[in-house]
Amino acid sequence: MSDTLNIFLASVLTHNIVLVYILGMCPAIGVSKNLKTAMGMGTAVIFVVTITSLINWLIYNLILVPTGGEIISLMVFIITIAATVQLLEMLLEKYLPMLYSAFGVFLPLITVNCAVLGVTLFLVLREYTLFQTLVFALGTSAGFFLAITLVAGIREKFDLIGDPPKGLQGPGIVMIMLGILALGFMGFGGMVDL
Amino acid sequence: MGSQWHRLTYTKPYVLLKDGIWRKNSVVGSSLGICSALAVTNRLENGIAMGLAVTFVVMVASIVTSMIRDYIPLRLRMIAYMVIISTFVIAVDIFFKGFFPDISRSLGPYLPLIITNCLIMGRCESFALKSAPGFSLIDAFSHGLGYTFTLLILSAVREVLAFGTLLNVSVVGAAWTNWMVMAMAPGGFFLLAVIVWVVRSMQGEIDEAGATPTEKTVMEAA
Amino acid sequence: MTLQTIFILILLLVGITVILSFVDVMLGGSRQMLLTINKDTTLPASGGGTLLDALSQNKIFIPSACGGKGTCGHCKVKVDSGGGDIISLEENFLNRKEKEEGVRLACQVKVREDLHISMPEDLLEAKEYMAEVAALEELNYDTKFLRLKLLSPKTINFKPGQYVQILVPGYEEYRAYSIASPPSQKDMLEFVIRHIRKGLCTTFIHKALRVGDIIKFTGPYGDFYLQENSKRDKIFLSRNTGIAPIRSIVMHLKEQGMPTEARSYYSGRTKNDILLGEELSKIEEEHDNFKCYVVLSKPTPDDKWEGETGYITDTVPKFEESLDDKEYYLCGPPEMIDAAMAVLSEKGVPEEQIFFDKF
Repeated sequence: MSDTLNIFLASVLTHNIVLVYILGMCPAIGVSKNLKTAMGMGTAVIFVVTITSLINWLIYNLILVPTGGEIISLMVFIITIAATVQLLEMLLEKYLPMLYSAFGVFLPLITVNCAVLGVTLFLVLREYTLFQTLVFALGTSAGFFLAITLVAGIREKFDLIGDPPKGLQGPGIVMIMLGILALGFMGFGGMVDL
Repeated sequence: MGSQWHRLTYTKPYVLLKDGIWRKNSVVGSSLGICSALAVTNRLENGIAMGLAVTFVVMVASIVTSMIRDYIPLRLRMIAYMVIISTFVIAVDIFFKGFFPDISRSLGPYLPLIITNCLIMGRCESFALKSAPGFSLIDAFSHGLGYTFTLLILSAVREVLAFGTLLNVSVVGAAWTNWMVMAMAPGGFFLLAVIVWVVRSMQGEIDEAGATPTEKTVMEAA
Repeated sequence: MTLQTIFILILLLVGITVILSFVDVMLGGSRQMLLTINKDTTLPASGGGTLLDALSQNKIFIPSACGGKGTCGHCKVKVDSGGGDIISLEENFLNRKEKEEGVRLACQVKVREDLHISMPEDLLEAKEYMAEVAALEELNYDTKFLRLKLLSPKTINFKPGQYVQILVPGYEEYRAYSIASPPSQKDMLEFVIRHIRKGLCTTFIHKALRVGDIIKFTGPYGDFYLQENSKRDKIFLSRNTGIAPIRSIVMHLKEQGMPTEARSYYSGRTKNDILLGEELSKIEEEHDNFKCYVVLSKPTPDDKWEGETGYITDTVPKFEESLDDKEYYLCGPPEMIDAAMAVLSEKGVPEEQIFFDKF
């Protein structure tokens, strides 16, 4: 139990995928203009990361390892992700239109989100069990949700009063916000570890 | 009238090189490929390795995409890019594991993550899919070079500030105190923000619309 | 790599392809869509691309300066049905009225279903032309006179006052220039082009272009042109290279034998800035009902200028007995147009009698 909690807290806080591992920057900068879209993106990532990392765990441990195909695992992982995202989009559009309208538009963007592939690579590297994978995937994507929501919240407020120099407008100032957030998250260091 | 130099500046290869390295530099101009640009640049050797690896992959991926562009079904092109890109990333991964095991270890999962580097997908989508292989190669080369330059600057500054060394050779005096935060995520964010600030002010043109065109095409095409 | 690995890989790729092809078919795939323009022309358009691409594939060239990046806002078309929702990038370029009418930027509209759009008929006539540089001469310290000989198609039809877009080679971007020659001269176009520092196309024309080079342009475009059927007297106000479309209009009027009274007010900083002055003076001598006035805003002592000075907006009321019954054609920098518009509306000139082109 402590192991489960450990993995979860560590992947949300001390090993936050955005602010510590610096993955998933494209959406963190591109889709963080307002809170609503950021939360939609975050939710979509939670869904996709959880599903794809479970599938990839199964494929890796049940098919690739027994047959000695680890060498092509990268290609298998990314294709699984791309295919899953596309299938998920189609299924949601058809059967759960409510959910689709909430975050369906973000689904196609996720294929190229390095956070998704990153989770799969980490779980292979760390040799997690299936249950640990589930916890790790949930924790990491929750960490992504947290980070992108924080940035969006700051940006919404900042846009009202902030007047950065011209060269810093847009991505520049967002990177500074991310930097400050990352500094803050360093404060969690030592609380839990992997 | 019509000096040779000015005529040269209006040829396609020249414009492609200038765009990739300076005018539309992927990292600074369109915030593409930032993940690896920040995550691995705490040491210069990592920066060089990452820059060259991305340059190689984007060049071969562009040329292959361009050659088979007439046969890629429009809706399935993302998968096609993935297959092409991942093939070459696997090759690069094996290459580093075999010849530079130390760098391979310190890059960790970030080397395989080149697959999702938006820069590569962006070049395939916005250029190679519509252009002849020759121009695609020049375009990919210049964007790879622009990426490598940015990484070189980032990693050199970070290594000096964080460890007081350059390529693991000490370059500062005994009084120097290592600035550890530069080796970690916040330092990377701040330094990149400064670089973006400087370059954009020099270029003097800021895309007011927020999301830049390349980024947008990548996202919409996905 | 073992045989087994290769086998898995192939199996996987085949599996994915089958699944995705299935999805592809279910979602409609990249089949051909239909694009209906002004309810009468129907053209094929491949799904997945942008409306701008679909139009240019069908040889319809609408103005676009940024190459489809959504940064210039020139490629506006009215989408009647099938364009999806407006995206945030477009909102910078559309006012409320345009949004309500369904105006979109063609470069941002994806072809996902059959589309119905409307656009002005004359846009449908814009074509892509290849032309050879026949002459490139210096008019003054920063302005050149460019003459293009049309190669294919060999002739162009346009209304006096309209513009074309010249393609900047290498950059593949377009820049707009007013035609300075009369429409009767169908195989040869003339332009007056001022060098703007760091300007993409003007630098190209001034520094890189040579006689004999082949360049491409599209056109004609623009709703700033001579109202042929109007019987009103015509007043032309221009500054610097704004004389280009006015020259086209005046030369056209001359060929028609000056059907109405016409007067040209042309301003520049110094005598050096006055372009093609003799040409207009010559027409003035030949026709009693055409007059041209030159106004210098800051003549140098060397100019030995004894004519009008100051603002063009002060000169016009001096020579015109009445203002509100004339028709106005304004062409020049935005400040000049805005100042002239303010004066004219103050004097009670109805808006529909004023035509302008901001440079």
